Amino acid sequence: MSMHIGDSPEEAAFRAEARAWLSQHASPRSEDGGSWHDDLDAHSIACKKWQRVLFDNGWAGLSWPKQFGGRGGSHLQESIFNEEQAKFDTHTGLFAVSLGMVGPTLMAHGTPEQQEEFLPKMLSGEHVWCQLFSEPNAGSDLANVATRAIEDGDDFIVNGQKVWTSMGQYADYGILLTRTEPDAPKHKGITYFIVDMKTPGIEVRPLVQMTGVAHFNEVFLTDVRIPKANIVGGLHGGWAVANTTLTSERGFIGGGSSSWSVDELIDFARERGLDKDPVVRGKLAECYARAQTLTYLGYRLRTAASNRTMPGPEMFVMKLAYARHWSRTMDVAMDIAGAHGMISGDAAGDALHWQHNLLGQFAIRLGGGTNEVQQNIIGERGLGLPREPSVDRDQPWRSLAKG
Amino acid sequence: MNFDLSDEQQVISDLAAQIFSGQSTVDRVIDVESGDGFDRALWNELAKAGLLGLCLPEEFGGLNMNMVELVLVLEQQGKTVASVPLWSTSVASMAIAEYGSKELQSNLLSEVVEGKNVVALALANYGANDVMNPSVLAEDSEGGVKLSGGKPAVGFAPHASHVLVSAKRADDSIVLALVDLKASGVTITPVEASNRQPTANIDFDVVVPNTHIVAGLQGNGREALRWVHEHALVGLCALQLGISQGAIGIMSEHVKTRTQFNKPLSAQQAVAVRAADQYVTTEAIRVTTLNAAWRMAEGFDARQDVLVAMYWATEGGHSIVIACQHLHGGIGADISYPVHRYFLWGIQISTELGGASQHLSRLGKLIASR
Repeated sequence: MSMHIGDSPEEAAFRAEARAWLSQHASPRSEDGGSWHDDLDAHSIACKKWQRVLFDNGWAGLSWPKQFGGRGGSHLQESIFNEEQAKFDTHTGLFAVSLGMVGPTLMAHGTPEQQEEFLPKMLSGEHVWCQLFSEPNAGSDLANVATRAIEDGDDFIVNGQKVWTSMGQYADYGILLTRTEPDAPKHKGITYFIVDMKTPGIEVRPLVQMTGVAHFNEVFLTDVRIPKANIVGGLHGGWAVANTTLTSERGFIGGGSSSWSVDELIDFARERGLDKDPVVRGKLAECYARAQTLTYLGYRLRTAASNRTMPGPEMFVMKLAYARHWSRTMDVAMDIAGAHGMISGDAAGDALHWQHNLLGQFAIRLGGGTNEVQQNIIGERGLGLPREPSVDRDQPWRSLAKG
Repeated sequence: MNFDLSDEQQVISDLAAQIFSGQSTVDRVIDVESGDGFDRALWNELAKAGLLGLCLPEEFGGLNMNMVELVLVLEQQGKTVASVPLWSTSVASMAIAEYGSKELQSNLLSEVVEGKNVVALALANYGANDVMNPSVLAEDSEGGVKLSGGKPAVGFAPHASHVLVSAKRADDSIVLALVDLKASGVTITPVEASNRQPTANIDFDVVVPNTHIVAGLQGNGREALRWVHEHALVGLCALQLGISQGAIGIMSEHVKTRTQFNKPLSAQQAVAVRAADQYVTTEAIRVTTLNAAWRMAEGFDARQDVLVAMYWATEGGHSIVIACQHLHGGIGADISYPVHRYFLWGIQISTELGGASQHLSRLGKLIASR
């Protein structure tokens, strides 16, 4: 098939179908459509409601195989649907981890029993999932996880602390990285579990961020009993599984539908009487140019995904470019915000939306690996630069000095 | 040519450093933040040390110094994110000393020096926030000037006795008025500021007596507003210089002590290089700010110099606080960790009197139209 950048007739038809359905089931996006930030409870309820509507009408899990309750569509169709959905007042963030990260991981590595038990309820919105990966001493160096899981009969008993767990306070299940073999090198002694968040011994403590909202949590695990049947990818085989999850996370951060758009920023400048200012226009144009790049990077990734080729460095390019675009656009937004940029709370009016996104940029630039981690990977896989010599890859994890 | 501080200036800088770092510890800042947001104990210390009258004439108890010295003191405030209205009170009282009537000066300035009066500064405007185009309307009336309209996000308005307001007559001439915040016809609506400092929107429907019109009765309003604007901008640059150093200090400590991949973060070149860039930008803020302050103190035209400094303080300061936040990873996102205050202040200062685009536009106009 020859190159064609834009919807094919079939894709255009699909887009029209999606739009028609959406317009019957959701209202058009309002000015502050992305501003759920202040009320996570309300957001979470709205997400569950909308996911159920999607599910009942056969739109949930658009690219998931039918055997798992999905629609069996292509990744391209999923992207088209997401683009259209972003034009409506719909709430989806609560399920970002479930559908964007856990689902693809369980489809790739889960046992048939796990797939059957968990995937349909993810799609229906009955279960919310969270990610229990990062620890105080395992951030960029995720393979340094120290949360211990020790075998005990048919179970493992888990002790440790996790951090930066998005929406952990609403989660029914978590995906959990643990240390099961301290004498193996750090990447080889990790086991990946599914954990029921209602298991005794799990305590979720919200962490308040600058927005005043606790999107993230610390999660403490004390003698938490997890059945062996909940291991994903085999004992000590967790690192490969974790990488599938992280690849999905980068994918959705990079290709995610934003809570803002450059068009909205242009409107914001117009409302403030700054749209005629040549310097502001130059900055808006830069934002626009970057947004275009991301659109085409996204198309290229989706093409690769549709052809079932494994994503190469393009995924990392996309995630890095997106994080930079987000950050730079918010710089411009604050430049435009004027005096309202100094006020938080309702009195800030429209400026509040941009401030929240300014403050929220750190989740984008740090989650799924920091910008610097992406740059390292691009250097290695995109340019073929030698991997940085590491002192700790082959030594037993137990022997490494703990930071 | 000598870019070094004089011995006297060094003494002022050391004195300010001692007071701010001694009083405004992280615990103290948290205490003040959870209270009414005004560190009065620190304010009294500053008064005792004479720093509230730093740039005021000796006849009112001031030290009769100038903008360079004020920069040195505000820099120290920025380093500790101390919550005191030093910027607004200093700039407003300097304007009164420069343009105000003798009567107003003798009524007000001694009390400022003693720490009894807090003066807020309402230069920012709704909309495009062009300081030279005030949104409050001024109309001459019997024995005074009637002000009507609002000013957004006035720092320390909830605690101030007075506010210096810029307003515009129908003929585009400018009035600078000192308004008693307890006067009827002045409505103070507290709002949350991004940097958590006590802040309010103020609405005016009030006749300000001619004695309290600081400038604009004799057609000097525009010149006076430009003067106040330039001093206010350089004051913000000085605060941003301190904020940048405070943020970099916390960040350096973090990357030195945080271990990942069995070595400190700072051993990762990407981290070390990014950290070094922030230092470079901070030094750009420092030299351009000192240059602008010196030119103003000497009475030279400093319009371009102020805008150059302001470009570095807004664009550069903004990027410094973001980088310092970023280099903390997730830890910086938790508000029980102190670095976020520098981020919030840095963003606020970059917004206060117009963003980088505005300063660049004005600078471009000045340098290209010669």
